[in-house]
Amino acid sequence: MIETRTFRAMGTDIELLVEADGAERALDGAEQEFHRLEALLSRFRDDSELSRLNRDGSIEPGPDLERVVGMALEARQRTAGRFDPTVHDAVVAAGYDRSFERVAPEGDVAAQVAPTTAAGSVWLRDGRIELERGVRLDLGGIGKGYAAERAAEILAVAGPCLVNAGGDIAVRSGSWPVGVEGMTLELTEGGLATSGRDRRRWRRAGRELHHLIDPTTGAPAETDLLRVTVLAADAVDAEVAAKALFLVGSERAAAEADAEGTPAVLVVEDGRTVLAGGLA
Amino acid sequence: MTSHTGRLYALAFALVVFFLAWAAVAARPWATSTVDPRLKTLAVREAQLRAEAKLVNQIVAQRAQLARLSRNRQLASAAAAPAPVRIVNLPPLTITRTS
Repeated sequence: MIETRTFRAMGTDIELLVEADGAERALDGAEQEFHRLEALLSRFRDDSELSRLNRDGSIEPGPDLERVVGMALEARQRTAGRFDPTVHDAVVAAGYDRSFERVAPEGDVAAQVAPTTAAGSVWLRDGRIELERGVRLDLGGIGKGYAAERAAEILAVAGPCLVNAGGDIAVRSGSWPVGVEGMTLELTEGGLATSGRDRRRWRRAGRELHHLIDPTTGAPAETDLLRVTVLAADAVDAEVAAKALFLVGSERAAAEADAEGTPAVLVVEDGRTVLAGGLA
Repeated sequence: MTSHTGRLYALAFALVVFFLAWAAVAARPWATSTVDPRLKTLAVREAQLRAEAKLVNQIVAQRAQLARLSRNRQLASAAAAPAPVRIVNLPPLTITRTS
């Protein structure tokens, strides 16, 4: 028997599935974990730890913020800067300066391009996080995956489970058919995430913009890909890999996924769907 | 015949001899030294516990080391190998989309 729960958190729909009877307490715990992490990691809440860090330039973080920032910096290194948590000002300048539900879909004023702070220095030492002057962090590219993983850990106490945080999926044992671009993938472990420019987009002065910033330009990435789905060891790695592949375009993304053996589904703007990384 | 000073010396000498004798008797040199048997037992028990604690610490450290190695191996293999997946003909329970 699969028990489910859906609710909203982190600006998206969250879905919890657990294969167990009487899993109410685990479901409650997993839901609370999402709200707790949102309160810590949201850049849209003035009182979140992340907002305090961005405001003050340094903070003595709690374990979650410390861990997420650590993972984001590690991801930046691993992807040679294609994933970068210091794009905060660029995302804001592009128009994504409030929770997405409140971003106007159309606008006459052209979006700004902030001087990119890509590779801006962030120090994580002696129990403190310190930002280089002018650097602010956006953990949106990793926070949902992290929350999905933490919630899955809680749910897994009750039984095999799947947590879907608006497309970022964490699985703990069991067998879970997940729909991806008209196919069904059976997940038994690990994480899955989709990144793209087909949602969280808006127009400014006739120009279509989206939330995936290319750290090298400080502007929304221009690529022939509409969206990328990646399967990885966990939801955080999947989120990072999906964004890193999205930025480089379909040809290079397919080659990289094949070379690294990363199962990926690439949807190109001309309508093609490319399977890569051993997925066939 | 005996002078006054001589009597004083004799008295002082007698006092010294008296106190020395008193101290010697008070020390009870004939009594054998005895240790409380309960203290003896406690000391033995303490030594045993210290030895056992040392052994337990060694075992815990060895097991922690093994667990760390095992965990590192698991993480390395999880990172190296793609997560298990296959395409199936089943209706999906959930879908992924751009997050």
